Amino acid sequence: MNPSVTSLAHMPKLQAEQLRVLRSGKEVLSGVSFNVAGGEVYGLLGGNGAGKSTTLAAFLGFVPAASGRVVVDGLDVGSDLAAARRAMAYLPEAASLYEHLDARENLDYFLQLADMRCSADEIDLALDRVSLGAEARGLKLRSYSKGMRQKVAIALAILRDTGILLLDEPTSGLDPTAIDEFHGLVRGLADAGKAILMVTHDVYGACQVADRIGLLRGGQLVAQFEAPPGGRIDTETVHRAFSPRAAA
Amino acid sequence: MGRRTVEAMSARSASASVWSALRREAAFLARDRSAWAWWLVVLFLSVLAVSAGLNEVHRQKATIAHLVEADRAERMAVLKTRKEWSAVYHSFHLTYDPPSEFAFAALGRRDDAAWKHRVRMLALEGQIHERDAGHPVLALVGRFDFAFFAAFVLPLVLIVLLHGLRAGERVAGRHDLLVATAAGDSGRLWRLRAGLRATVVFSAAVLPLVVAAGLSGTAAPTLLAACALLFAYVLFWTLVCAVLAAWQQTAEVILAALVALWILLGVVVPAAGRIAIDRTVPMPSGADIVMTQREAVNAGWDLPKANTMAAFVERHPQWAAYTAVERPFEWKWYFAFQQVGDQKAQALSEAYTDGRMERDRLAGWLALIAPPVLLERALQVLARTDVRASLAYEARVRDFHASLREFYYPKLFRDDRLEPAALEGLPEFSPRAAGR
Repeated sequence: MNPSVTSLAHMPKLQAEQLRVLRSGKEVLSGVSFNVAGGEVYGLLGGNGAGKSTTLAAFLGFVPAASGRVVVDGLDVGSDLAAARRAMAYLPEAASLYEHLDARENLDYFLQLADMRCSADEIDLALDRVSLGAEARGLKLRSYSKGMRQKVAIALAILRDTGILLLDEPTSGLDPTAIDEFHGLVRGLADAGKAILMVTHDVYGACQVADRIGLLRGGQLVAQFEAPPGGRIDTETVHRAFSPRAAA
Repeated sequence: MGRRTVEAMSARSASASVWSALRREAAFLARDRSAWAWWLVVLFLSVLAVSAGLNEVHRQKATIAHLVEADRAERMAVLKTRKEWSAVYHSFHLTYDPPSEFAFAALGRRDDAAWKHRVRMLALEGQIHERDAGHPVLALVGRFDFAFFAAFVLPLVLIVLLHGLRAGERVAGRHDLLVATAAGDSGRLWRLRAGLRATVVFSAAVLPLVVAAGLSGTAAPTLLAACALLFAYVLFWTLVCAVLAAWQQTAEVILAALVALWILLGVVVPAAGRIAIDRTVPMPSGADIVMTQREAVNAGWDLPKANTMAAFVERHPQWAAYTAVERPFEWKWYFAFQQVGDQKAQALSEAYTDGRMERDRLAGWLALIAPPVLLERALQVLARTDVRASLAYEARVRDFHASLREFYYPKLFRDDRLEPAALEGLPEFSPRAAGR
C-alpha cells in the first residue's frame, strides 16, 4: 500500500456486515463480513457458485440483503441506493459497450449517463492511461478485440473518478500482456487512494495485485489473507486454501 | 434560503437533468442505424397506407363524377326515346355517398357496403341490397388503409423496437453497467428510451397522415382528433411493451408474450367477439331481402289486381278512389305491385337494419377490450365510414326514392300525360355535402 495513503487505510469505503442473501428462497450468502479501505485492493476469490458475483451484486444494489447490510462510502445501499451507486464505478465481466459507437462516443455516452461531462482531452488522457492506441479510438467497437473493449471500460471507470471501483472478473479472457498492464493500472489506482473490490477466480492474478484476499466458499467467507508490508500474498498458501484437494 | 426557493431550485435542477438526459438519449438514438431503419419502415408503410386510401377515395370520387354526368345524359336520352311511363320505367336515378375528406385514412364500411346505387321507380329494397349481401359477415379488420396500418401493424413495430429494451442489454452484457452508472433513478433511462423510440414510430406514422389530410382538405379538428387517438394508442402499446420489457426474462420470451398479447387483442378477441355478437343478434341477410321482394313482385303478375291495389292503398289511402284497373296492363298497377314488393320485404329490411345497428353497438362495447378495434372504429367514425354512416346513406336513398314516388304517383293515378314539362321538378338525389 502506498505510504501516502496509509491514513486512509483505516477508513472503510466498502463494508459488508453479516451479509445474508437469498435467491429463490435459497441462501447464497451467509453472514459475510469484510471491508475495503481507500488505497486498498481487496480480492474476493472463490469457485463457481461461491457467492462472489452475488456479493458484488449486493454492493451494486441488484440483490437485497435478507439480513445484515452493505455500506458504500458510509451510505447504506438498502436505504440510499442512488447515492451509493454514484460513489462507485463498476467494471463488469466482459464489458460490452455499444458496438455502433467508437471509444470516445461510448465514453461520452456513459459519462453523460452518470451526469458527468469530460472534455475530449480528458477522455484522450484516460485512453492514454489504459494504452488504447490513438488509431483505434475512432473505430467502432465492433472491430475491437476483447482486451481493447476492456480498456475502454477501464477508461470509463477512471473517468468516473469515484473513490470506489468494483471489478467483476476483470482479466477474464485477456492475454497475459494485457493482464499485466491491467494489474499495473489497478495498482496505480489503489495507490492513488481508491478502494478496489476485485471479484475473481484467478488466484495468481489476485495475489499479484491484492492487498488482502477473502476466500468465499458456499456463500461463506472462509479465509482472509493479507500481504506483508511491501510484499505480496503468497500464491501457494491461497491456492491450498482455495482448492485443498488440488493442492494435496 | 426559504423553503420555497430551495424547492424551486430543486425543480429547475430536476428539469434541467431531464432535458440533459433527453438530449443524451436522443443523440444516442440518432446514431442507432436500426432505429433509422425502423423509422423508414414505418414511414414507408404509412405512406403506402395513406396512398392506398387516397387512391381509393380518388377512384370513388372520379366514379361519382363520371356517374353524375352519365346519369343525366342517360335519363335525357331515355326520356327522348321512350314514351310516357315506359320512360319512367327505364329511367335510372343515381344515388351516392361521397367520401368525406378524411375517408382516405379509414375506408371502413366503404370497403364492403355499397356507396352508390342507380335506382329506378321499381321496388327499392332489392335494388339497395342486391349488392351488399356480404357486409354483415365481413371481418372487423379491413383493407390496408391507414386505420388498419395504425391499429394492427404499428403495435408490431413497437413490439419489435421495445421488447428487448432491457433484455437486449442483458444479453449484450451492458444492463448492469448501465444501471450502475445511471445517475439517480435508473428507471428513467428505460422510460426515456421507450418514450423516444415510441416518438420515432409515432412521428413516422403521423407525418404522411398530416400531409395527406392537408392535400384532402381535412378539417383541423378531425385531424387533431385522429392524431390524439393515434398518440393515445401508441402510448398504450408503449406502456404495455415497457411493462413486459422489465420482466426478468429473455428477449425471446418477452417477444413471444407481447406477440401473444397482440394476437389476443387484435385477432382472438375481435374474432371471438364477432362470433358471439352474430349469435346474440341474429339477422336476415341482404339476399333474403332481395329474394323476398323479388318473389313478391313476381307474384304480383299472377295475383288478382284488386288484391294488389288493396295492399297498396293501405299505405296510400289518398289514391283509394283511383285503384280501378280495367285493362290487362296499367302502369299504376305495375308500380303498385312494385311498392307492394317493398312492403312485403319491409319487416326483413327493418330487421336487417336494426340488426346491423345492434351488432355495431355491441362491437363498440367489444372494442373497449380490444384496443386495435377501438382505434379502427374511432378513425372510421371520424372518417364517416362506419356502419352508421353506411346506414345513414341507405336512409337517404330510401328518402330519395320516396320523393320519386311522391312526384310520380299523382301523375300516375290521375292518368296525366307525361309531357316533358311535367317532369320539371323531378327530384334529384342530393348527397350530404362532402366533409359534413
